[in-house]
Amino acid sequence: MGSSANKPELIINGKRTDGRDFNEMRPFSIKANVLKNADGSCYIEWGNNKILAAVYGPKEVMPRHMMEADRAIIKCRYAMAPFSSLSDHGRTGPNRRAIEISKVIKEVFENVVMLREYPASEIDVFIEVLQGDGGTRAAGITAAAVALANAGIQMKDLPYAISVGRVGDHIAIDFNMIEDNYSDSDMPMAIAPRNNEILLLQMDGGLDKAQVSKAIQMAIDAGSVITKAQRDALSEVYSNNVKGV
Amino acid sequence: MKQIIVPGEVLSQSQVRMDNAYTEGGKTYAKVMGLYDDERKGIIPLEGPWKPRVDDMIVGIVSEEKNKVYEVDIGFFGRTLLIIGKFDRESYKVGDVIEASIKDIEDRKTIILTRARPLEGGTVMMVKPAKVPRVIGKANTMVKQISEAAKTYIIVGMNGMVWMKGGNMALAAEAIRKIEAEAHISGLTERIKLMLEQNKQGN
Repeated sequence: MGSSANKPELIINGKRTDGRDFNEMRPFSIKANVLKNADGSCYIEWGNNKILAAVYGPKEVMPRHMMEADRAIIKCRYAMAPFSSLSDHGRTGPNRRAIEISKVIKEVFENVVMLREYPASEIDVFIEVLQGDGGTRAAGITAAAVALANAGIQMKDLPYAISVGRVGDHIAIDFNMIEDNYSDSDMPMAIAPRNNEILLLQMDGGLDKAQVSKAIQMAIDAGSVITKAQRDALSEVYSNNVKGV
Repeated sequence: MKQIIVPGEVLSQSQVRMDNAYTEGGKTYAKVMGLYDDERKGIIPLEGPWKPRVDDMIVGIVSEEKNKVYEVDIGFFGRTLLIIGKFDRESYKVGDVIEASIKDIEDRKTIILTRARPLEGGTVMMVKPAKVPRVIGKANTMVKQISEAAKTYIIVGMNGMVWMKGGNMALAAEAIRKIEAEAHISGLTERIKLMLEQNKQGN
């Protein structure tokens, strides 16, 4: 995306462009059950990212020939709103990037949702990026996992996702848009916290073996914070009442 | 002590067999969001789709008719059919509300109904399928309580459709909505009782 010719300074006085440390995440908040018509939904604000996730199903498989007799299929639609970012998302409808991200997100949830509990059905996952600022697929997966749990879909785990990468010699976590475009390496990953199983791993740029293991360790460390926020968001839907109306 | 749990949460460090949980690598994990009861060792789901089982009583609306085979809308994604046999006298029109029980589930997506009977008049409301057991209550206590207070005839289908007729239907509907919203808070029966009694005094 970014060319090296006009590369901005990504590290100023040992801090990142927005004043964060290398292992510091952007502030984020998660709210579950925000859409009444959806079976499950979630709204996440992660830095400047604003993402809405909705889950429908299990429902009838359309088109019919995609039906699997013994398990459910998952359909995922990741989309960026035309107004979501400063650069070229002015066109509605899926583009090459959105189709690819939809596919990898679908595969994350195929490994987590108990598909065989819902034979011959379809579960729809929608991720709509209202405002994007780097790491939207990670935030989208985190939100969609909450939406799936909110819909009461049986799952093995509540996955989270985060991007890690390299700026110069430093491994850093949770890239924003500028770092995403101009960093030396960017690696979004989705993890199941139960056994730290990696469900998604994509990479731009280059990392050596030691850097990859450090990056994965940083993602897992950050994961405990995200997992806690996801769980809090889910139980908050009912918490107003637990203490007694 | 009841607590809210989410999918993937460890319930036990050993293999324990319980509802809505699975075991992996010698540990027991939750697989659905719900309330975990320490004493009873089970999870009560807070949300979730209805899973049809043979012999479930359901309430549905006839949506199509062809040669004495009726398609019934019960809020399930697959097809639901009521096949009228030789000895059944009943015939239905599109839009009729019926009560029936599930005879068979074919290919896990086509439900065959049996022992159908028409429900004439009245109205139908939907509740979340996960809350149906609470609306019914232990041995029908909850639905009986509402029925007596509102003098309404109520039938609760396992699929989440509730049919009611006569009496103070607004009160009955309000009570059912309250159960749906507050089923996870302890002391539900007392609160519903209180609500129904207050309403009685008000009139």
